[in-house]
Amino acid sequence: MSGVPSVRISIESASEKHVQEVGLDGSETYLQPLSMSQNLARLAQRIDFSQGSSGSEEDEPSPGGGGGREWPGAGGENDEEEEGLVKFQPSLWPWDSVRNNLRSALTEMCVLYDVLSIVKDKKFMTLDPVVQESIPQKQNPQVLQLISKKKSLAGAAQILLKGAERLSKSVAESQENKRQRDFNSELLRLRQHWKLRKVGDKILGDLSYKSAGSLFPHHGTFEVIKNTDIDLDKKIPEDYCPLDVQIPSDLEGSAYIKVSIQKQSPDIGDLGTVNLFKRPLPKSKPGAPHWQTKLETAQNVLLCKEIFAQLSREAVQIKSQIPHIVVKNQIISQPFPGLQLSISLCHSSNDKKSQKSASEKQSPEDHLYVLEHNLHQLIREFHKQTLSSNMMPHPASAPFGLKRMRLAGPQAFDKNEISSLQPSEGLLEKIIKQAKHIWVWGFLRFRTARTIDSLASRIEDPQIQAHWSNINDVYESSVKVLITSQGYEQICKSIQLQLNIGVEQIRVVHRDGRVITLSHQEQELQDFLLSQMSQHQVHAVQQLAKVMGWHMLSFSNHMGLGPVESIGNASAITVASPNGDYSISVRN
Amino acid sequence: MEAPPVTMMPVTGGTINMMEYLLQGSVLDQSLESLLHRLRGLCDNMEPETFLDHEMVFLLKGQQASPFVLRTRRSMDKPGTPWHLRYLGQPEMGDKNRHALVRNCVDIATSENLTDFLVEMGFRMDHEFVAKGHVFRKGIMKIVVYKIFRILISGSTDNTEPLSLSYLVELSVVAPAGQDMVSDDMRSFAEQLKPLVHLEKIDPKRLM
Repeated sequence: MSGVPSVRISIESASEKHVQEVGLDGSETYLQPLSMSQNLARLAQRIDFSQGSSGSEEDEPSPGGGGGREWPGAGGENDEEEEGLVKFQPSLWPWDSVRNNLRSALTEMCVLYDVLSIVKDKKFMTLDPVVQESIPQKQNPQVLQLISKKKSLAGAAQILLKGAERLSKSVAESQENKRQRDFNSELLRLRQHWKLRKVGDKILGDLSYKSAGSLFPHHGTFEVIKNTDIDLDKKIPEDYCPLDVQIPSDLEGSAYIKVSIQKQSPDIGDLGTVNLFKRPLPKSKPGAPHWQTKLETAQNVLLCKEIFAQLSREAVQIKSQIPHIVVKNQIISQPFPGLQLSISLCHSSNDKKSQKSASEKQSPEDHLYVLEHNLHQLIREFHKQTLSSNMMPHPASAPFGLKRMRLAGPQAFDKNEISSLQPSEGLLEKIIKQAKHIWVWGFLRFRTARTIDSLASRIEDPQIQAHWSNINDVYESSVKVLITSQGYEQICKSIQLQLNIGVEQIRVVHRDGRVITLSHQEQELQDFLLSQMSQHQVHAVQQLAKVMGWHMLSFSNHMGLGPVESIGNASAITVASPNGDYSISVRN
Repeated sequence: MEAPPVTMMPVTGGTINMMEYLLQGSVLDQSLESLLHRLRGLCDNMEPETFLDHEMVFLLKGQQASPFVLRTRRSMDKPGTPWHLRYLGQPEMGDKNRHALVRNCVDIATSENLTDFLVEMGFRMDHEFVAKGHVFRKGIMKIVVYKIFRILISGSTDNTEPLSLSYLVELSVVAPAGQDMVSDDMRSFAEQLKPLVHLEKIDPKRLM
């Protein structure tokens, strides 16, 4: 083919008539061939005008451009001529589409021409290269939206998942251990009972009795710790508590004040250590104790220390006839000669050494629990006193201090009045006083009872009845003694005695109001009771004589010479029988 | 009449040489309750007390330019309490290391015929007022929150009217001279009252 380029062969369709239809008889109906103008119109109708705009711009000018140049003049005339026709048969006219397309092309050309002419002036319009980024800009927000949506969805999903995990965990925990309490609620509970404050990132609490009026300088601070060293996977122990307290090392363990009264003084050499660590510790439970008990014991240790410190300070300061001795953890005082009151502070810490020594020493239990209790009571009274003495000044500008002390100047108090304002008795003096009474009460009372009992059992004739009263003061207790003769209780009620057993002495109140004071010696009471019994006998004889109709010749309560003895002298009575034949004289 | 010998020297009698450390501030009536609430929390665990005092200030003019001032105070709501006679020296501002105003002070409790005695001595009453408020205590610190009432008819404390719409707040410590450490405690306590009330050392000379 390439060898013969010069030869042009034009192929034309045969000018045969197209067969329109073939009849049943075989006759063929032919279509009339298109005329030249008809053919042109058909071809013109086939022109694809849109091809040019979408296709390459170089192809366009050859078919359209040629047409464009040929037609303007004629087209314009055609337009004007055939406007009338268009009105009547717009669709039937074969050149219609061509004309429309050409017309729009013309419009565009005119617009282009105008634009170009304006641009040429550069007055009203300029052309700038267009940045071709419109497409990515359109895409970006969508992408961003998608990504952000994805992210937030993932976040939400994570939170939900976490929450679900936590929920399931808490459900599992509560099922596993219902008594499991969290730190904060424990802290809240702690806060209800103890003073807490926050220092830095620590929570400190106050064990001391300062707010209750204590002047003990120990700071008594404990620290609140969060107990975190447990595995959630493992089974939580029964007594697990998320809150723990750390108390100062010197307040650890348990302490108590021991008060005892001994008869003979032990060797000074082993003083002080005798009562150390005496009580073996109760077996501690495997788990750590609850914070409440821990704090309470620590506070008790602190209070015991304060009591002891106060007592030892007073023991050193107070000058008594027999000086008080303070050795290590023991205070020794002698309320009565040959009698020894020892107050000791027993503090047992948790370490094994002390437990060992505790097991070694076992002395008999000689606690005076009443005194120990009273010591606690006294220190609290002392606290209260310091609190209540802090009166607010009136008028408000006046300095702090005791109101009564301020009155001392204006009212010209003398020395005695001022000294009466000072707190008179210390803790030690009070407790010694109580101990004396305990001694009297516990031993003298016991001995009194024993004396009375032995007399009652030994002597049958005048009967002795003792009525101990159940209600006692700290420093005093009382007993009522009745001496009667059996069978004659109604006619002879001469002797009724009220024995008030005080701290150092026994006061006897007679029915007639006489008061006799006895010392704590056992013999004295016995003598006194015997003399009272003999007096009773005489009185009984007198009463009986009256009843029987005997004549009383003489009666004397106090025989002999000299002054009347306090406990009563010998008495005598002489009675004569009704007919005067016999007379009896009785003398005790 | 010859003026009695009065010295303007600070009173230093025997062991008594006490100084008053003072910080002052004021609150409006509206914020009184919240201040009292905070003070109840901060101060010693005691029942909060109110007071109603009548103060009279007496002057004695001698040869010196400035008169000698004594303050007498009596409690109106607590009968039977002694009167209070007070001498206050010139306030010293001090430097920045001392956080409170310091003035010499002598406190004496007296009987109730004090005014007659002072008048006999040649004093005359300069002014009087009624102070009504609350008193708190924290350790040795005394905190008074009170309102000053003007006395309308001299000598009669029944007719009074408030001087202002605010309460005076005073934080004071009476301590032996030279114990400037107490002013540190006072400063830290005053810090805890902020911003309810700003306690400062106020120089009365500047206000005149």
